[in-house]
Amino acid sequence: MLQPALVEKILNAALESGGDFAEVFVEDRTDRDLGMLGGVVERALSGRDYGVGIRILQGVFSVYAYTSDLQEEHLIDTARKAARALKGSSGDLVLNFDKVQFEDRHPILQRPSASQNARKIELMRQAHEALKTSHPLIEQTSVGILNWEQNVLIANSDGLWAEDTRTYTRMRMSAIAVDGTQRQSGFRGPGAYAGLELLEQMDIQAEAREAGRIAGTMVQAGYAPSGQFPVVIENGFGGVLFHEACGHGLESTAVGIGASVFAGKLGQQIASPLVTAVDDGTIPNAWGSLNIDDEGMPTQRNVLIENGILKGYLIDKVGSRRMNMPPTGSGRRQSYKFAPASRMNNTFICEGSSTREEMIANTEYGIYAKSLGGGSVNTATSDFNFAINEAYIIRNGQIAEPVKGATLIGKGLEALQHIDMVGNNLDHGQGMCGSVSGSLPVNCGQPTLRVSKMTIGGRKGGVSR
Amino acid sequence: MNITEFQETLFRQGQEYGYTDMEIYYSGSRAISTAIRKGEVDTYRIAETNGLSFRGTIGGKLGYAFTEKIAADSIPFLLEEAEGNAAVLELEDEADLFAGSVEYPQLQTYSAALMQTDPERLIQAAQQVERLVLEKDNRITMVRQSAASVREHELLIANTKGLHCHQQDSIGSVSVYLLAGEEQETVSGGWFDYSLTDFSDIRLEEIAVRAVDETVSKLGASSVPSDNYPVILREDAASNLLQTHASVFSAENVEKGFSSLVGKLGQRIAGSNITLIDDPLMPGVPGASIFDAEGVAARRNELIREGTMMTFLHNRKTASKAGLETTGNASKGGYKGKIGVSYHNLYLAPGTRSLDELIASTERGILITELQGLHAGTNPTSGNFSLACLGYLIENGKISRPVNQITVSGNFYDLLSEVEELGNDLRFTGSCTSPSLKVRSLSISGA
Repeated sequence: MLQPALVEKILNAALESGGDFAEVFVEDRTDRDLGMLGGVVERALSGRDYGVGIRILQGVFSVYAYTSDLQEEHLIDTARKAARALKGSSGDLVLNFDKVQFEDRHPILQRPSASQNARKIELMRQAHEALKTSHPLIEQTSVGILNWEQNVLIANSDGLWAEDTRTYTRMRMSAIAVDGTQRQSGFRGPGAYAGLELLEQMDIQAEAREAGRIAGTMVQAGYAPSGQFPVVIENGFGGVLFHEACGHGLESTAVGIGASVFAGKLGQQIASPLVTAVDDGTIPNAWGSLNIDDEGMPTQRNVLIENGILKGYLIDKVGSRRMNMPPTGSGRRQSYKFAPASRMNNTFICEGSSTREEMIANTEYGIYAKSLGGGSVNTATSDFNFAINEAYIIRNGQIAEPVKGATLIGKGLEALQHIDMVGNNLDHGQGMCGSVSGSLPVNCGQPTLRVSKMTIGGRKGGVSR
Repeated sequence: MNITEFQETLFRQGQEYGYTDMEIYYSGSRAISTAIRKGEVDTYRIAETNGLSFRGTIGGKLGYAFTEKIAADSIPFLLEEAEGNAAVLELEDEADLFAGSVEYPQLQTYSAALMQTDPERLIQAAQQVERLVLEKDNRITMVRQSAASVREHELLIANTKGLHCHQQDSIGSVSVYLLAGEEQETVSGGWFDYSLTDFSDIRLEEIAVRAVDETVSKLGASSVPSDNYPVILREDAASNLLQTHASVFSAENVEKGFSSLVGKLGQRIAGSNITLIDDPLMPGVPGASIFDAEGVAARRNELIREGTMMTFLHNRKTASKAGLETTGNASKGGYKGKIGVSYHNLYLAPGTRSLDELIASTERGILITELQGLHAGTNPTSGNFSLACLGYLIENGKISRPVNQITVSGNFYDLLSEVEELGNDLRFTGSCTSPSLKVRSLSISGA
């Protein structure tokens, strides 16, 4: 990490031509990636990312420069080059850095290190064995453990000085089932802001069996119907519905320039009164949590929607300037190669009072979406889509035959209004969210819920009821 | 420390450490980009980054490690990490670096002029496109971003067996993304153009015209009844669909069970109108390359010839397992990755008629111009896809109205046999390219 005297020189160089704010983001990250295919360790990679991002603001105009050459003269020169994109005169900056103090909410018990390789391989082998025996049609297994430790230093011309170390661990397990000419994969990928203890405390075999069960069930499933149906979406990663249908549309990157359907709707009823939604970066050791965001601000619990009424947005520093509202601790970036942007941390819909059984029983004909995949959204139109990896037909209030995964689509504003039952079993799932400032760990969460009408992209016309 | 000094020191210290064969894969890039909003510079970015992957043989196994810090103190880190990584590997057959091909093709992939483009030119180009767009149609509500960039990239692969491969490439591009509206409706769209040689070759007027047309033509869209329809996948949508599934042609994926093409070599897997080619030696396209990630000379390969699976893509390892010669398709997902298999410049051989002619020959059907959520709604292993999409309804050989809130579902492997006609509209904008494809029937889910 860089010394305060050098950081001060960089910030001064950055403000030579009229910038009103400058920031330095230093990152030193070590990655470890182990992979096993069919029970054989075939992938072992590790390495180090190291670089500096320099940002200059003049109002809402932003300049960003980054480099992995950390020699003093080069860093100052890079700041100066970036400053030349602005027109104005130099302010004289005397800095007295004030270190951001925070309580570390995310204790790490076993920091990643090369010496854990043998133990990790034992755990991967357990997962492989459980995957292999999870279903008679499993023909291939793939297991990986990815972990990384990211040291960051964020300092800016307001005198902020913040440092933190973030530790992540994720285990990926997938199985491929083959039935005649059909091949289908099943996947589980639990992760957390944690060290190896995550895996020591986890029921790895249960997770692996679940991945195998999905592959084995889906390889024998028929095609999903197409058309509009009520959909019961299972808890946990089912929260990808809210993430795509609404979450991205609340980010100041879109709202701040009016390119979101949710812009200008604060205080309005935008969702069913059953919906209360939160983005919370403070949940201890959760996959999407941070002590401080990538602009150095402590994360917080942001209520986005309360009983269907829009209460707040996710706002970064530039968004705060554009919208004239305080930032929400949501400025995030994948690495020093990205300028920060407003992003989600752990987003979820809060619990209601229905049970899963009630929702199924009250659906005459519909889709039960048990395991969800990723999705995407166009925030300007709120058209969103996400994949179902495991689905069943609901017939006469009961879960019936499995159907192959299909995509669910809709418009954010409509889908939120159509949520007509919300369950009492909140859970969270882990995903990687890709957007302007890179790919980031996020949790998507929700209790089981029902949407009264959604378009499902199946392949079978003429639905038989 | 420059890269040559770093390489010499690394190999010397590596030998002392106990490594026999060693290799570096060094990637460096520089870029300048700017985005304009409302006539003003909104963002301006300067990027430079280097990364190096080291691999070396120790204890009979090949270990990998990478770093972005090209400095003396990274050397012990690389040597120790790669040794630790080698120790846990359970594959015995990988410890082999390549000494170099006898001959390498000649190909121009780099233009020094691009990176020398005055940054002020980039700003002016983006401003001009924004202005052109706003002049064209009063239904345009916002130019969300008008952007211009130049970038260059350098790749060096060198090893202790004498391999020394170096290649540079460069690209300049301008793009615009806008919103249009009418009453309560908002739609978005955009377009881009690029040059591999000279920034002034980029056609700004054409970008503006296409971007506006792409956007306002979506106004007034609605869904269609769920049914099976004849479908035309426009070249950009077809290219994206092909790219998402292109990994199934890798011998590595076939061997590991991730592709349904296992056992299909020499067999008919597609219609006789389908010929799929990987041609890294094509001049003037972004996917051009003279060597692969192992330093093997790149070459043209026909994967599918008139419907028959001729070869999968190989690197040296998959080829040796199959008792074949490598096809020069070793890949590495940047300097952090491990050697795998991928295409350079994959494309489907075009047909003879234009997109307009394909439309005119369609009584009733859907023209798909945009597929969404490709990362989630596809499964290359099974080939099944179900994707949100946008496009137009075709009635009586003409586009009758825009369509949205629909999905298209099918199976990639089946699709290869169900292409009725390929268009003549290949546009090489990336490393995987398809002309427009007219497909007999696909399932559309809508209202």
